[in-house]
Amino acid sequence: MPLVASAVAGAAIMTPVLVVMWRSFTSGKLGFSVGLNLANYLRVFGDKDIFSMLSNSVIYAAGSALLGTVLGAFLAWIVARTNTPGKALVELLPLYPILMPPIMKNIAWILLLAPRSGILNGMLQHFFGIETLVFNAFTMAGMVWVFGLACVPLGYLFLLPVFLSFDPSLEESAYIAGSKPVNTMFKITFPLAIPAFTSALVLNFLRGLRSFETPVLQGTPGNIKVFVSRVYDSMALEFNAGLATAYSVVLVVLSIITLYFYIRATRFSERYATITGKGYRVKVIDIGAWKYLTFATVVLYFLAGIVLPFIVLIVVSMIPYFDYDTFMQFPSNAVLTNYYTVMRHPSFVTGLYNSLFLSVTIAIVTVFLGIVMAFTIYRTRAAGTKVFEFIGTLPLAFPPLVLSVGLLIIFIGTPLYNSLWALGIGLFVAYFPYAFRNASGAIVNIHKELDEAAWVHGARWRHVFFKITLPILKPSVGGALFYIFIEAIRNVDVAVLLTAPGKEYGPVTLFEYFRVGQWAEAAAGGVIYLIILIVAVSVAKFAFKMKFSL
Amino acid sequence: MPILKVEGVSKIFKDVKALDDISFEFDHGIISFLGPSGCGKTTLLRSIAGLEVPDAGTISIADKVQTCIERGVLVPPYSREIGFVFQSYALWPHMTVFSNVAFGLKLRKKSDDEIKRKVMATLDLVGLQGREQRYPSQLSGGQQQRVALARSLALEPRLILLDEPLSNLDAKLREEMRVELKKLIKKVGISALYVTHDQDEAFTISDAVVVMDSGKILQYGTPDEIYNRPLHPFVAAFVGHAALVDGRVVRIDGDNCLVNVPEFNGADLISPATEALAAGDFCKVVIRTTEVKLSPDGFPKGADNVLEGLMTSREYRGGLTDHRVQIGSKELIVTSHKLCPMIRVNGDGAKTFVSIDRSAISVIVTH
Repeated sequence: MPLVASAVAGAAIMTPVLVVMWRSFTSGKLGFSVGLNLANYLRVFGDKDIFSMLSNSVIYAAGSALLGTVLGAFLAWIVARTNTPGKALVELLPLYPILMPPIMKNIAWILLLAPRSGILNGMLQHFFGIETLVFNAFTMAGMVWVFGLACVPLGYLFLLPVFLSFDPSLEESAYIAGSKPVNTMFKITFPLAIPAFTSALVLNFLRGLRSFETPVLQGTPGNIKVFVSRVYDSMALEFNAGLATAYSVVLVVLSIITLYFYIRATRFSERYATITGKGYRVKVIDIGAWKYLTFATVVLYFLAGIVLPFIVLIVVSMIPYFDYDTFMQFPSNAVLTNYYTVMRHPSFVTGLYNSLFLSVTIAIVTVFLGIVMAFTIYRTRAAGTKVFEFIGTLPLAFPPLVLSVGLLIIFIGTPLYNSLWALGIGLFVAYFPYAFRNASGAIVNIHKELDEAAWVHGARWRHVFFKITLPILKPSVGGALFYIFIEAIRNVDVAVLLTAPGKEYGPVTLFEYFRVGQWAEAAAGGVIYLIILIVAVSVAKFAFKMKFSL
Repeated sequence: MPILKVEGVSKIFKDVKALDDISFEFDHGIISFLGPSGCGKTTLLRSIAGLEVPDAGTISIADKVQTCIERGVLVPPYSREIGFVFQSYALWPHMTVFSNVAFGLKLRKKSDDEIKRKVMATLDLVGLQGREQRYPSQLSGGQQQRVALARSLALEPRLILLDEPLSNLDAKLREEMRVELKKLIKKVGISALYVTHDQDEAFTISDAVVVMDSGKILQYGTPDEIYNRPLHPFVAAFVGHAALVDGRVVRIDGDNCLVNVPEFNGADLISPATEALAAGDFCKVVIRTTEVKLSPDGFPKGADNVLEGLMTSREYRGGLTDHRVQIGSKELIVTSHKLCPMIRVNGDGAKTFVSIDRSAISVIVTH
């Protein structure tokens, strides 16, 4: 029984993956495919922009990863190890990516940084008479800034435990050897944090390669092409599945190379093993006058990175339409018309409903099947479990957009095409690996003797699964359900190709609003999502006692 | 009828023979499997429970075949009707003490009344009355151990398997618990198979001891036989304090056997003769060092096997003292209750006589 469930989940994942591979070697428009040939690859590699696209992809991903990880690591160090005043502001950081969907970040920053209509350029002109357009969201720098800020929480979350649970005797033995605190910091503490830093950096790089919103909303208008936006254009604008899959395969190869480095980086970090089970109390170091610099960093990050986008979104959602002068008149011109408009707009209302319904369903289904598959692999003697382990992790190498390209090709001509099922399957395939990996990690950590004790005292697999494994997994099940719900409800890159009239998906609707220039409505819709997320976080926090800081 | 019968059981983990053609029978009582870690004792226990599938062999509990690889019989662990106490106790952390003990009874579809009665009676037996609503994490190590035992006893199995059940307790508690464990098992009247690497534990608790190494059974006997008449050099070295030296049988003289030991400057030692010994046999001479006597003041008259040596150092351990005595090319660590004076002569150590009673020696043929 658990084997059958795992096989079904495995098949759902393998099909789009194989279809993308196969389709990239055939030519023809959507719904047709002709012959087996290399025409798509010839076009991909014959494209004169291929090198600029490759370098754009790498510069964008590496730049954002570097900016975000360095800043995140620095903030983690400030919080864990220094006597900087006001560091409590940063401790809210883990909550920020939960509350701010990626698409809303892009919208807020474009409103701020747009060259002509943007708020910041307007202010420079208005208050300082500077006519040059200093800020431009539609440049590589703009892209790196926005996605780099999105990379900060991950850098912070990876490095904070390293700095917090650092074995103090490692530093103390340096002091004994005659090293002063600052020297010890640079010679002992920072080098020992390198593996965690590298892991965060590579993972952020991978996220950059896969990211959809920033390249499409900021790169495309500025004519900066990366692979993800090229896949999207080939599929959504040119309807050329062969070309889209060929670009996808190039992107997948880049992802796999990155994943390989990620796996190596994490393996390396185990050798350092500075984090032990013991609850150390690390010493906070008095950094003297430097604390003003760190204080400034904390305050600037808090205002620019977190507060500003929220304010911009809320203000823009409450003004009649967006331009600089109307924005500056707020709050005298505050209205709620944008909210009325979106709430009466069928595409938003259906999308909102679908995103709520599907993300709850998908969270439950993926988490349950993830546990079943992990249980099959690690706790039964079923054959072929290695294969499941591979399949369950495979979608991580596939950018979500690529998975939905594969699914779209499969669905065309079937009753699934343009149905809610299509969206549901897409989200399932994209989020299953997270549920599976979370469950595997948790199951491996349950002492095997707990299962065996049940076996010898008369339990069969269903008793072991429902009475032992599932109840013990309860805390991590709650976390996984919440995480997948939060990720799915604001998904754009899987849903964008699978929506259809009448089968909208909320965040995709906002994405479309924004693309056609209905900026104020997009902001209003974004604020509605913000409220949903705040409710979800509060429920998780108070009803399920979930913690959001470390 | 033997409660447990194991015939020709083998198991290989990646080139390592964890179990190498193991066969034995065991009627009733408490049997211990003793050996160093990695000797295969836990693998054997898990194979008996059905948690591990051997590569070959047959295992029967109370004359019912549970595992027979040759005939394709493999009774799943949940149908073997045995008890199992794990090294980690494996108490389910999300269940109370009551639910842990009631788990197997519920699966056997007993009535609520009966479950309650049995759980309470078993908790009473192990001395945990009044703790049934606690969670395992709220109990001490010794109490957790009792819950693990109660969980198995409640099902009234005929055989209970215990995998190093005391190894997670501190030394003092361990000594208390092993006496109590023995009393309890005897009181309930079931048979037990006990795995341990601690020879004191094995000797205290069991009616029979099986010494294992590298997947093989080296000796199966009563604790007294294992200690005083080891059949294998490894058994001698593993149980108790013994020194092993190579020797060769010179002749058999009625009840005595004369062995030449080159390492002791070629001295001949008198030892008890056994049927296995014949003149000319190469052998290992096992000396129980706790029974060796030191005579630093002069030649001990009338003692067996007097040798001359140099005491090079002493390690005082409180009640006991280890004396290092160099005899020929062999260093003997002699443990005695009193601290022997050590008067150094020209820096090498103190001259002393050592006497080894013939009953403190066993001779094992090595061919």
